[in-house]
Amino acid sequence: MAIGLTHYLVIGGILFTLGLFIVLTRRNAISILMGVELILNSANINYVAFSHFSSGNVEGQIYAIFVIMLAAAEAAIGLAIVLSIFQIFHTIDVEAAETLKE
Amino acid sequence: MTHPYFPVLMIFLFAGVIVVSFLFIAQLVGPKRPNPIKSEPFESGNPPKGDARIRFSVKFYMVAMLFLIFDLEVVFLYPWAILFRRLGLFGLVEMGIFLSVLIIGFIYVWRKGALEWE
Amino acid sequence: MDLTNLESLKYFYPEIILSGTVLLLVILDLVIQNKRVLAPFAALGCLLSLGATLQLYGTSEGWLFHRMVVLDNFSLFFKVVSLLAVLLVIWMSVGCHEIRQIYQGEYYTVLLASTLGMFFMASSTNLLMAYLSLELVSLTSYILTGSLHHNRRSSEAALKYLIYGGVASGSMIYGMSWIFGMTGSLDYAVIREVLHQGEANRLTLFMAFLFILSGFGYKAVFVPFHMWSPDVYEGAPTPITAFLSVGSNAAGVAIMIRFFFPAVSHLGEGGNWDFIPGVEWPHFLLMVSMVTMTLGNLCALGQQNVKRLLAYSGIAHAGYILMGLVVLNNIGLRAMLFYIVVYLIMNLGAFLVVIIVSNATGREDIEAYRGLAWRGAAVPATCMAIFLFSLAGLPPLAGFVGKFFLFAAVIKGEFYFLAVVAIINSVISLYYYALIVKTMFLDFPEPTDQEVAMTPTVFPLLLILAIPTVFFGIYWGPLFHYTNQSLGFFIK
Repeated sequence: MAIGLTHYLVIGGILFTLGLFIVLTRRNAISILMGVELILNSANINYVAFSHFSSGNVEGQIYAIFVIMLAAAEAAIGLAIVLSIFQIFHTIDVEAAETLKE
Repeated sequence: MTHPYFPVLMIFLFAGVIVVSFLFIAQLVGPKRPNPIKSEPFESGNPPKGDARIRFSVKFYMVAMLFLIFDLEVVFLYPWAILFRRLGLFGLVEMGIFLSVLIIGFIYVWRKGALEWE
Repeated sequence: MDLTNLESLKYFYPEIILSGTVLLLVILDLVIQNKRVLAPFAALGCLLSLGATLQLYGTSEGWLFHRMVVLDNFSLFFKVVSLLAVLLVIWMSVGCHEIRQIYQGEYYTVLLASTLGMFFMASSTNLLMAYLSLELVSLTSYILTGSLHHNRRSSEAALKYLIYGGVASGSMIYGMSWIFGMTGSLDYAVIREVLHQGEANRLTLFMAFLFILSGFGYKAVFVPFHMWSPDVYEGAPTPITAFLSVGSNAAGVAIMIRFFFPAVSHLGEGGNWDFIPGVEWPHFLLMVSMVTMTLGNLCALGQQNVKRLLAYSGIAHAGYILMGLVVLNNIGLRAMLFYIVVYLIMNLGAFLVVIIVSNATGREDIEAYRGLAWRGAAVPATCMAIFLFSLAGLPPLAGFVGKFFLFAAVIKGEFYFLAVVAIINSVISLYYYALIVKTMFLDFPEPTDQEVAMTPTVFPLLLILAIPTVFFGIYWGPLFHYTNQSLGFFIK
């Protein structure tokens, strides 16, 4: 049994699910951001795998590079927002920082 | 017919079984006599200083953020560098525009004082 | 036409001007002490860009930059809409006390960068460009939402927005990766050809669309991707709330139309679009549309904060706009475009009155509007009544005409149940809009309620927004003609 496209897609799917699980269950803002990164990287694995196995061009790999770039930009903005949350609430627990309600 | 990687799988399984069983046996038969000195965190033999979870200064986050952004521009420089000859003058100008936008960003960061440590 | 990079530049002036303005704003902010010149400078850049956009009408349509973006009447329409939105928002920001506490240079820079992203959202014909443009709008929106210093609500709203946005766009690119895997290309034209050959697995395709919808739907505020919107609308500075509610909403609808129509459907006879056979996508959107408008209206009923109320009403309006997509023909799409313009005018107007009241009282709850007409603010109160009744869809206002076209498209498409649900929803919405109007006119002010005065910059803007709301309700011909023209997609 050779390692083929399916294996990569399964890994991508597992990573996506784990990322979603982390976002839904964690309360620490930094952990949630890490979960978002997992989701982005699951898509990256799919792109690179499809690019290698089925499409025959490098478009998927280019896509992955841009996703990495945007993940960094999002992480930077996320860190900045988390910092300002920390300065105000003195915690990065997302449930403690909850004042907007119905 | 066995797969060529079958022995590797067996090694992993074997290693896993050994690790789990050692942990389990140690838990089962090992004597447990905790005292305060034993249960304090290990810091290379020295008496531990302070809490392990110290707060980093905000400045570190600032630097981390800026590093993240300016570090990743290199991701785009690599493909360009590999195809430098084929892209020719047009590629050079395009990369020049890309870098000049980044440099404006860098000047902004510099002038706003985000690079000052104090 | 299919142009290369250098050839494309002369069809690209609106974007170039806007990018140049963004860069110049950064530099100006560093060298100039008097920050008051930044807002007019930003507005000037937008006006120049608007001029360049209008110049492009009548030139040939086609792909630019090796099929990355497309130039057609549809993309030009959304460029005009985003520029109008940002110009009005800049004007609103100048008269807003909240905005004065924000760093001016950064504020206008990021605002224009967001507009640039909206340009690309409407015109991208490549999955990569679609993702990049959506993220450009998202990232700038996070910054704008959290831009109030040491403000609990603002920072918290930004964090929520970031988390929801990150998950939504992450799911979107995961779905796009499946489309890429099934078709082997990121290019919309190739994707359409391959998908219509009919080899792709229907269930996989449906799941991929579902993932992609999470990204588009979170921009255009559809249930169940709407959860961020009430908190973000309440926490963000009011001009930004207005900008998000019209600009980023319109761009979300644009990217969605661009993907679900020219990219995956075939244009058939008489302006009907044929979706990929075997994928029950339109019926799914029908459900989403009904749930979105019902949930938005029901949640709006009990709201005490007017910004939050307008957020829920925005969700309901997203549901109405989605109706035009369900019928899968050009009549529905035209009604959507018409409604987007009308919604832009009346919703910005409603938020402008929110700014006027919060400038004077510092409050956003419904109590602050008690007897507004008798507290020296008869004009804003009257205008607010016009905007709210237009949002509710009462004749003879623009909102009525917009809703009429949408309902007509739905009935012509024989989706009677959807039409009935939408009409019931309009009746529900009338209740909470009328409640605000009643508070402003029929309740008398308490002695503790402050006088509400307008700044001189705000008054003309109020008229600029109120007059078209009435005018397009009586004489909608030119606007209808314009939206009809804007339905030109460049396909091949």
